[in-house]
Amino acid sequence: MAISDAEGESPAAAKEVGGERKRKRLAERSLLAKWKTEGERKSYSSKLIEALRVVRRSSCPAPAAVATDCSRSRAVRVAADRALAVTARGRSRWSRAILSRRTLKLRSRARVARLKPPAAAAGPRAAERRKPPALEQKARVLGRLVPGCRKLPLATLLEEATDYIAALEMQVRAMSAVAEILSAAAGGGRSSSVAAEPM
Amino acid sequence: MSSRRSRISDEEIKELISKLQFLLPETRRQGASRASAAKLLKETCNYIESLHREVDDLSDRLTELMATMDIGSAQAEIVRSLLRS
Repeated sequence: MAISDAEGESPAAAKEVGGERKRKRLAERSLLAKWKTEGERKSYSSKLIEALRVVRRSSCPAPAAVATDCSRSRAVRVAADRALAVTARGRSRWSRAILSRRTLKLRSRARVARLKPPAAAAGPRAAERRKPPALEQKARVLGRLVPGCRKLPLATLLEEATDYIAALEMQVRAMSAVAEILSAAAGGGRSSSVAAEPM
Repeated sequence: MSSRRSRISDEEIKELISKLQFLLPETRRQGASRASAAKLLKETCNYIESLHREVDDLSDRLTELMATMDIGSAQAEIVRSLLRS
């Protein structure tokens, strides 16, 4: 129906676009691949450790009983996310959104109730929409999950989401590695009377 | 209402969806592009949520570990192993 207005290309030009598209796809894959390099992970790890040190120092003045583990864990989460956003070097929307956050946004579950779109009422009108409401609904959910991406068009949202997922995977890998190292160090440092560790 | 939003061509959407498929672990295995857009979006949301949960768990774990050990020696240990690998 409306395909012609998006790209008025002749078949010859379309082939060129096809080739360019492939190149673009490869370039994008390599952009995502940067999240998998050792260099990125190490750079993130060192930022993470700095952040951990800051969190620890900030909670040190209070005795251990007062600062709850929950709030400190949240501080760690915030610091880890910030470090991740910094590693992204501000090239993506989600990283800029994280860095401009003042405090951790507590995800409120109350907003989920608003999800049902009024599409059920617009019976005859629904046929005119090219995208079914289910897709938009899911796109909205996705927009809420990726920081700073609530009102983006679908194409941009998907781009941000792919970069965000790659970054999250790196974050998980780096944090696991740091946790392993710390627990190994902790296990070694403790005097070994207790052999069985719950880890 | 002007349906400008739906003017994103199906081509673009297919391309982005293939990119997503490349990332999501389950769909990568199947390798087919038969997953509908809605299903894929749902998979993506679930995957991001599960990643968030993992990060939360790891934060909890790191908090515990931090509480029980001296950060000075921890840092030395980390630096050492980072240099090693």
